[in-house]
Amino acid sequence: MTMHRFILIFVAIGIGALLLAALGHFALHWDSTLVGTWTGIGLSYLVLGGAMRLMPRWWREHCDDEYARPAGRRYVRAIWPILISYALILFFSGWMIRRGIESVPLRALLAILPVLPLLALIRVALRYFREIDELQRRIEAEAIGVSALLVSMLYFGGGLLESAKVISLDAGAVMIWVFPLLMLFYGIAKFLAVRRYR
Amino acid sequence: MNNHLRELRERMGWSQAALAEQLAVSRQTVNALETGKYDPSLPLAFRIAKLFDEPIESIFIFEE
Repeated sequence: MTMHRFILIFVAIGIGALLLAALGHFALHWDSTLVGTWTGIGLSYLVLGGAMRLMPRWWREHCDDEYARPAGRRYVRAIWPILISYALILFFSGWMIRRGIESVPLRALLAILPVLPLLALIRVALRYFREIDELQRRIEAEAIGVSALLVSMLYFGGGLLESAKVISLDAGAVMIWVFPLLMLFYGIAKFLAVRRYR
Repeated sequence: MNNHLRELRERMGWSQAALAEQLAVSRQTVNALETGKYDPSLPLAFRIAKLFDEPIESIFIFEE
């Protein structure tokens, strides 16, 4: 799988999600939250595809090299079903909760359902980490370590500001952003680590 | 740590990708080794020495 192909897939998903949002708005009369969600998903994929296209050539070549190797190929093959099932379960869970469920245990189960496919990521990521070569493993470890520390410090700082009543954030939104922030900082740290060993 | 990996590879007429494949590492790793940005582990250093049929100390130069 090359970066070029990733970009095409991201753009296709983005356009697909925007078309679905348009269909929901004009033909299926979805509520504005659902239309907004799909519009957001579509725009996010288009922005991500555009960002990948704007990355320097050496980075795209590094990614092509990484995903052409057996460990990278296996990783990509294993990750698609997880991400697709996550997206479908997220959609299903949100749809069910919006319909209104009285039972708290059932609502809790439905709310955390999207986490389950992501647990499979642990196995896939560990296998990838064990199969890559020693320099790649060092880069991954540095990136994950830096990202974990940055996110921890960010949340620690946020917690102190909350305790001092300087800021007041919605706890649910803050918790949901842990994983995306980890991935964002991991991506930036990996970019810098790869550049260092280039 | 400096090394003679690039000279040895070029003497054999191999590309970085070809050497990487024989060592079961990425091309980036071979490049980082050749430019001295990364020092290999002992098992990888032994694999390199075995591949070129040279003693480790003639490929890698330890500087204090």
